[in-house]
Amino acid sequence: MISMAIGISGYGAYIPRLRIKREDYVKAWGSFAAAGVNEKAVMSLDEDALTSAAKVSKRALESVPMGPERVSRFAIASTSAPYTEKLLSGTVMVCIGIPQTTFSSDHTTSTRAGTEALIACFEHVRGNPAGHALVAAADAPRASMWNTVEHGLGAGAAAFVLSGENLIAELEGTASYASEHFGERFRSSDDELIHDLSVKKFFEASLISNTTKAAGALMKKLDRKPEEYQHVVVQQPDAKVPASIGGKLGFTDAHLVSSGVSKSIGDLGAASTPVALAAALDAAKVGDRILVISYGSGAGSDALSFKVVGERKTAPSVQAHIDNKEYVDYVQYLKLKGAIK
Amino acid sequence: MRKVAIVGAGQSKYGEFPDKGIKELFFEAYKDMAASVDKGLDPKTIEAAYVGNLGSGGFQLGNMSALVAEYVGLPYIHTVRIENACGSGGYALVAAVMDVLSGNSKVAIAGGVEKMTDVSGVKQKYWLGVSGDTEYERLAGTTFSGLYGLIAHRHMHQFGTKREHLSMVAVKNHKNGAQNPKAQFQREITLEQAMKAPIVAYPLNLFDCCSTTDGASAVLVCDADIAKQFTDTPVYVTGFGTSSDYLAIHDRADTCTLEGTRKASQKAYKMAGLTAKDIQLAEVHDCFTIAELLAYEDLGFCEKGKAGQFIEDGHTQIGGDKPVNASGGLKSKGHPIGSTGTGQAYEMFNQLRGTVQKPVRQVKGVERGLIHNVGGSGGTVAVSILER
Amino acid sequence: MAHVSIPMYWRTIPQRYKMMGQKCKKCGAVNFPPKGVCKYCNVSSEFEELQLSGKGKVHTFVLIGAGGAPPEFADQEKVGGSYPVAIVELAEGPKVIGQMADIPPKEVKMGMAVRTELRKIYTEEGVIRYGFKFVPDTDGK
Repeated sequence: MISMAIGISGYGAYIPRLRIKREDYVKAWGSFAAAGVNEKAVMSLDEDALTSAAKVSKRALESVPMGPERVSRFAIASTSAPYTEKLLSGTVMVCIGIPQTTFSSDHTTSTRAGTEALIACFEHVRGNPAGHALVAAADAPRASMWNTVEHGLGAGAAAFVLSGENLIAELEGTASYASEHFGERFRSSDDELIHDLSVKKFFEASLISNTTKAAGALMKKLDRKPEEYQHVVVQQPDAKVPASIGGKLGFTDAHLVSSGVSKSIGDLGAASTPVALAAALDAAKVGDRILVISYGSGAGSDALSFKVVGERKTAPSVQAHIDNKEYVDYVQYLKLKGAIK
Repeated sequence: MRKVAIVGAGQSKYGEFPDKGIKELFFEAYKDMAASVDKGLDPKTIEAAYVGNLGSGGFQLGNMSALVAEYVGLPYIHTVRIENACGSGGYALVAAVMDVLSGNSKVAIAGGVEKMTDVSGVKQKYWLGVSGDTEYERLAGTTFSGLYGLIAHRHMHQFGTKREHLSMVAVKNHKNGAQNPKAQFQREITLEQAMKAPIVAYPLNLFDCCSTTDGASAVLVCDADIAKQFTDTPVYVTGFGTSSDYLAIHDRADTCTLEGTRKASQKAYKMAGLTAKDIQLAEVHDCFTIAELLAYEDLGFCEKGKAGQFIEDGHTQIGGDKPVNASGGLKSKGHPIGSTGTGQAYEMFNQLRGTVQKPVRQVKGVERGLIHNVGGSGGTVAVSILER
Repeated sequence: MAHVSIPMYWRTIPQRYKMMGQKCKKCGAVNFPPKGVCKYCNVSSEFEELQLSGKGKVHTFVLIGAGGAPPEFADQEKVGGSYPVAIVELAEGPKVIGQMADIPPKEVKMGMAVRTELRKIYTEEGVIRYGFKFVPDTDGK
């Protein structure tokens, strides 16, 4: 039985225009812990995961183009949603005009949430060939300013329309891996801010284990070799992690270039691989293959393999967003992040 | 029409009085009014009290009209609290006038009182901010300074009105208010000071905006047939008009016009058998300097768009041919919200009878005056014409 | 706080989230925000719903400083400095007030093209109130 091709038929991204530089952290704290990150994006006081999700969802629909009334499945992903309990999808669905009878899911508890939402929505499209799913990942994670995990935390969003028609990138397959690891980048239900116990080797092991297991399983399932991919999109808590994971899977630095956005915008949490995937799509040519590898602490990883089949690009591109910037200093940054109480 | 007379008028000092609440302030105005009745006032003749009031200073909101009436010794009369934001006093006067015109009461008080300094600045902004359109205007991030700022900016853009013109209003009114012993601010300011004050809502700066004030006023309104019982020199309310308007400025056809002022003044002129040209003195609602400029236009003193030139040419100074706000206006005299309208009537009563406290403010030989009281950003407007 | 109650705010969601206007069935004019009776012909209460584009031009604007900011926006002004508020003439006809975002105050110009976007307006009783603000309408953004 030949199953219908499904994949991405539209996408959109958004990076807030405010930026803070590593130099400002160095002035404030004497050092900056996010390896390879030169500057990162910051949301304005009146933005959050929901306003950004609404924005990119509209862009993704316009890029197809299609109207919101045809969205048959919606998912939103963020680790920094403004509520820990309140249906998040409702805000975005009503704002965009997605039918209120459409099933939606909120994905929130780790930085794997973005790809969780993608996989869940691909399942919908597989079972509903005429359907259209919309996935929005939007994040601006927060940690205590005393904790070095805060240094790399940035802000951004990306959305994707998934369907069986008019494809830009066809989904070849997915694989996932979940495990029990704790102490790395967590928030208990009382906390607003991320904790991280800095047990570096232990966390690195979790990162490598989960991601290589997911990606390895996928490549084996699809019988692919590293050289068959042109773009490898990896979770970016900093700018060096992709190389450490990629290296273990046999990929080179060249694979990581098109999606290497964290050096300019920081760690986008659940929106990290989605925004990086948008950047890869911006650069990709028809026939290119893209491998996406996400990671969420606690822990788990998803891997998705795409083949680019369409030329359509979205404007503004991720790079255009990266280039549209305005710097703030560290004091202004503290005010914007609500860190001065 | 000469059926309704004002035979007494009083006002408390306007300012900040921590030791006085709404009862004490109203009493001060009431006593001042009683003392102004040339042949004496027997309180038993008073049948009604219409009291303008917005917020009662963080205090009792229900039945405040009965509260202040009993406090001044009038326990068993017809009392009503009138609330049309900053236009409350003007509407209280109109209500009292209509009561007397209807034949229901022969003698009524129209007054107002506001206690604004008992609550924090934050709470004050809350109360003031809910008299425009709260849902959209307030939640767009404006209070009245922002709304009048939107009007001022458009007026400058559309008609070429200049920053100086706005400040000329402040300078003139402070000059007048410096001679008003009951004014909140009794000091002159220079044009340069007025123009360089800190920005509140660009283009409006601090000196474009009136302050918050405690104060009260009361006027004694009666059937003209019995006016002589109280004084040989009554003042007559020969015309009045009121009008509402769309609350939100964006709902109005013309951003630079207070249609409420136009319609209310047209009704008042018609009733009095007068035109704008006949008015010799006016107390207008200068909550912000732009509001006074708009009033020149919307009351018909000058053409739309020409208010800047009108003040620049000196028409509205004391000594000019159309003096406006000889009292100091809201800007210098103060703006205790519920009292402002009847405070304007108090000033006009004294101007028309030649009994203004300081002679330098007295406009000589004035016989026909107009008072103009606006609720908020123009949602309600009351205009009354008073004549000798 | 202005204290617009939860239900009261919720009732305006079609306008705040989606720019839903009403087209008068009698005279064809578009009312936004909604009225009981069309404010143009002052006669008809029959409307059809019309989703507005959110695009318009700045008709007038003001720059709110600390002294002019309502308490709900005091912190915003403290953090970001003075903010612009505009009355925008929407493409479909009606004018509406809205805060502007993503633009330094001194770059706001009379007549400039803007469009709406969902933003956080303020928070009361722990509930975030979202609504539209106007951002510069540059093509492709």
